This record gives sequence, C-alpha cells and structure tokens, in this order.
Amino acid sequence: MSEELYSKLMGAVIDGEPEDAVQYAKDALEAKLDPLTCINKGLMPGIQKVGELFSTGEYFLPELIIGADAMKAALDVLEPALVGGQEREVVGRVVLGTVEGDLHEIGKTLVGTMLTANGFKVTDIGVDQSPEAFVKAIQEHRADIVGASALLTTTMLQQKKLIEALVSAGIRDQVKVMIGGAPVTDRYAKEIGADGYAEDAISAVDIAYRLMDAPV
Amino acid sequence: MANQTEEIAQIVHLGSVEILTDVGFCVPDQKLLARLEKAGFQIDLESEMVLISEDLLEAALQSLPRDLRLFSRDGQPLEKLGVESCYMGAGTPVNVFDLDSGEHRSSTRQDVRQIITIQDALSQVDIVRPTVTATDHGEFSDLVEIAELLRWTSKPVVHRTLSPDRVEAAVEMLYAVAGGEDDFRARPNFATLYCPISPGYFTPENIHSMLKWAEFGVPITLLSMAMGGASAPATLLGELIVINTDILAWIVVLQTLYPGTPLIYGSVSAVLDMKTGLLPLGAPERGLINSGAAVMANYYGLRSMCGGLSSDAKELDAQAGFEKVITAIPLLQKQASIIYGVGATDAGNTISYQQLIFDNEIIAGIRRMWSGISIHDPREEIDLIKSLTPRGNFMSTAHTRKNYRQHWYPEIISRDTYETWREKGDNLKTICNRKAREILDTHQPSQLPAKVALELEGIVRRYVPDFSYQD
Repeated sequence: MSEELYSKLMGAVIDGEPEDAVQYAKDALEAKLDPLTCINKGLMPGIQKVGELFSTGEYFLPELIIGADAMKAALDVLEPALVGGQEREVVGRVVLGTVEGDLHEIGKTLVGTMLTANGFKVTDIGVDQSPEAFVKAIQEHRADIVGASALLTTTMLQQKKLIEALVSAGIRDQVKVMIGGAPVTDRYAKEIGADGYAEDAISAVDIAYRLMDAPV
Repeated sequence: MANQTEEIAQIVHLGSVEILTDVGFCVPDQKLLARLEKAGFQIDLESEMVLISEDLLEAALQSLPRDLRLFSRDGQPLEKLGVESCYMGAGTPVNVFDLDSGEHRSSTRQDVRQIITIQDALSQVDIVRPTVTATDHGEFSDLVEIAELLRWTSKPVVHRTLSPDRVEAAVEMLYAVAGGEDDFRARPNFATLYCPISPGYFTPENIHSMLKWAEFGVPITLLSMAMGGASAPATLLGELIVINTDILAWIVVLQTLYPGTPLIYGSVSAVLDMKTGLLPLGAPERGLINSGAAVMANYYGLRSMCGGLSSDAKELDAQAGFEKVITAIPLLQKQASIIYGVGATDAGNTISYQQLIFDNEIIAGIRRMWSGISIHDPREEIDLIKSLTPRGNFMSTAHTRKNYRQHWYPEIISRDTYETWREKGDNLKTICNRKAREILDTHQPSQLPAKVALELEGIVRRYVPDFSYQD
C-alpha cells in the first residue's frame, strides 16, 4: 500500500499531473503514512527523474514546469502535516522576486521552478518588490540566497539598491545575492557586488549550488 | 497566397474582437479609467479592466490616419515607406562589441553618436535609431539619445522616453528642429514606440508616455513584444491574436481620446526556446510571427514596424548571415513597412559595428533579389539576340552598357579568385571594421543650424547639466 502510493506520487510528478499529486498526497495522509517519507520516497525521486529527463533532452521546459508544479501541489498537502520538528531536506532556501518598478514575471518564475526542481525551497515574493520587501522576506524565510530579477535597462539599477539595502539592514553577509534578467551581465553583477549572475534559468541552478557550496 | 493572408487576417481580427469585447484589457490607472468610462468604454474600477464595444472599435478604425509618412530632418519624405520595406536600426540594448578591440562592453554615448553617424552614412538604412543605450548617462540616457539622433543624422529617427515627464522636453527638441509644432505635425521626422506586457497590459508609465506623445501629435508605434509559449500561446496563430489584441486595444484608446493620432502597428515578438527559456531572434519563427503583424497592419491599412533581420550569433559568422536573411524574408513577403533590426546581434542583446556594416550589404542584396525579373517589352533584346546568333558577344553592345548596372555589386563580399583573396588576407570582419572606421573618419552628417543645436543643448541641460555637443 505504502510503496504503491510512493510510486503514484512519483508518477504524478514525472507525468506532470498536479491534481493527481494532490489526491495521492491526501490518500497518503489518510492512510497514515509518514509525510516526510512520502516526500523523500515519492516526490523527490519524481522530480529527480524529471530533472534527468530534462538534462537528457527528452523533456523541455513545459514538462519540467508542470512536474515542479505537481511536486509543489503535493508538498502543500504534505508539509503542513510534518510533525515534531520534521523538516524536508533542502539544498538551500531562496527568496526570489522582480525588483521595484518592474512587472515582468516569466523569467523569475522559471528560475524559481528550476531551483525547486533541484531541491531548493523557493519563496517567490512576486513582481515590483521594494528592497525593503526583499529584506523582510529574507529575514522571515531565513533565506540563504536572494534572487532579484530585472528585465528593463531602467530597473536593473534597482538590483544595486537591493544590495545597498541588505548592507544597511546588516544582513549582507548572511545571504548570497543572485541577479538575472535580459539586460544584466556578469560584468554588471560584479560591478554592483552581487555574488552570482545567471544568464538563464538553467545556469541559475549551477550558480545557486555553487553559492551553497553544494556539489553540482 | 493572397487568400491565405486574408484568411489569417480575418481569423485574427475576429479573435481579437472577441477577447476585447468579452475580457478586455487592463488599464492600471484610476483617472484614465474614469476618462475611458466617459468616452464610452465599459470599465471595472476594481479589476482595472476595460471592455471595448464594436461601435468604439468602428469609430477608432474610422479616425485612424492611413497614410502616415515619415520625413527627413529637412522635410524630404521617405518615399520607400508605403511602397517598399524600409530598414531601421535596432534598439536599444546596453551592450556593444567594441569597434577596435571587439570586447563585449557597456555601450556609451560615444557609441550612440558613432552608430548614428554610421547609419546616417549607410545607403540601405532608411530610419535611424540610437541602437544602443548611453549607459554613461544613467536615467537620462533617453534625452541624450534623442538629442544625438537629431544632431548626427538627417534621416527619420525613432526613439522613446523612459518616463512620461520627459516627453515634453523631447517634443520641445522635435519642434525646435522642425521649426514649430505645425511644421513637425505636417512633416514628422520622428516616431516613438512603446511595448505592452502581453497579454493585455501596459505599465502606467508607458500609458502616460503614450498619451503625452499623442497630445503633441507625434506618431506612436504600438510595439508588441510577445513571447510565444510564455506571454502568448505557443502556436504562431495564437501568438498573433495576442499581438493584435494588445495593439488593437490601444488603437481604440488612442483614437478615442486623441482622434487622428498617427499610429504604427509594431511587433518585435518571437517564440520562446523551451530548452533554455531564452528568446531566440534568429529563428525562422521570428520572421514568421512578425510577418503576421505586417499582415494585420495591412489589413487595418496601417504602416507596420516589424522585428527581423535579427540573429543570435555572437560574431559576424555564417550563423549571422543565415539568420539575418531568413528573419527578413517573411517580412518582405508580407510587405512590412519598416524592418527593425539593423546592427543587432546576440538575440538583440548586443549591437555590433561589424554587423551594422554587413547588414547594409545584406539589405542591398535582399533588395536586389526582391526586385525580381522586371517585365518589359523585350523587342530590343530579341532583335539583339537575332543579330548576334550564333556565337555573338553581348559585352560590347550598347544594350549591355545601358543595362548591366542594374545588377548588384557588393561592397564587402568577396568575389575574388582564390589567389587574390589569399593575397589580400582580408575577411568579412576586418573589412567591416575598416569600413566602419572609414565612415567615422570621413562622413560628415549634415549640420543642424547652430541656433537649433544650442537650443537642443539647453533643453537637455535641464536634466543633464554638463551636456554639450562638443564633448
């Protein structure tokens, strides 16, 4: 029974079926299965398989995204049921958002999905976020990494302001800063003192691993 | 072919009308919402959504001026516009490949000025853009760029401001150059452009900028930047419906509030690469999707500005040549008015001096190819062939001397023999570099009257205190 549900959870992630994933997660809780084991034996192997299929070129982004969505949907059921200090093992905690004055969503969300699929716990605070909102979220979620996205040549200046805000909040040394967006370059990242720059969502994962000192 | 084009236009138009009358589009500004309600739109203050009625649409399409012309700074009309496709500089990334070292670096005002000067000199560039951002002028780069455009070229120019509060200063410059508002309105040498966030959204800043420009009678390009598979459906037809809906919505708004505002139907859209999440601009789909925009523009009787002649290449190589051509051809097939892309490479993220020079060559070749086999009375040729059959030589005939120059002679491409080519030791990149240098050393764009130049400097100095054309 339990093995069957783990494998169903895994399958729902691989096939990208969020509704099924939620149903199996509920079934598992009803059957009194340990939620952490469901995560570790069902969802995690599922998303790993999705990642594998993506890196071998079988899956493209749409399959990857729906797989990650299925995982997140099931996690929303399972995580609240974790008991007694149980915690899902994550590579790192990431707070992610688009900077103030910029309403572009897609690139940032894609980075969030890639990081989630690769074992990070991602809190996406949305678009048009002030440096103060970033700081607050970083503190609240104990973030290891903050990711700031900007699509416009005008709003990329806000990435610098975010770093300044981290300094004045006294948390610059507690959190690594990753930046991205079409006009952003590695050169600019170095110039403003960011810790990492990724040119696309896929390389964002490698950078995040590197910033966590985790093996890629 | 014509039928298929007509069918696409019909399907897309009806799709857009359904979306605009059922769901509408977002106008994130309460004051403007109230103004739109007064003008007859159905609005929802809470969701900030606006619905369009068929009547409003009808009236807007009626008041839309159909014969937009662009003029040179000295009032000469751009004859090609409306007859054949014009080519325009790309814009406006923050990176450039350095002319001398080839280094990938941030673009500066010096690049803006040089790239404008080169576009002014190039025979195939009809409309000039700054193409890069003057990153050394931070938040006022827009006004600096407009001032440089008006100074370093007399060709028509296209640019935008970064915020609505600069529009007035920009218009002041335009009127100063034209000799007053009436002269500008009669013979505009400038058009602006603004992009929606697809689907169905313009930022408040862009909305206010557009309304200001409209107030001053400046032609506005509604420039869709849809990403198929991300901000629009994954099929080309579905993406085209998003492009058209976003543009049609604002055609109606602008024509209702400012009837007669000259508008250009624009699209620099593309299709997302689902392997990487990047937006390739050298893909065959790039030219195709924007050729759809040309179809729709022609359907409404508007001039179009379409992204093409674009590439993902990082240097001037075979990929660059291949992509530039395949993304331009569909736009010619569907009679785009303005092809937007000269000088761009690296998916539009970097401008290259070499590419700028070589694009001129590509355009010249494409234009020749597109002119086709001209049909005329072949009497002269038939008589000539009869007189020289058999084994005659046409080279020494008057007919040949009179006609051979209509064929294309490249300026850059090598037609040398292997031996000559090897002796010269040149390649495309070195030739293009040399040409760019030559233009910068020798080309003198026509001067603005000293009084006007001073006036422009004065306007920019309100924002950038040390601005001077002498720098």
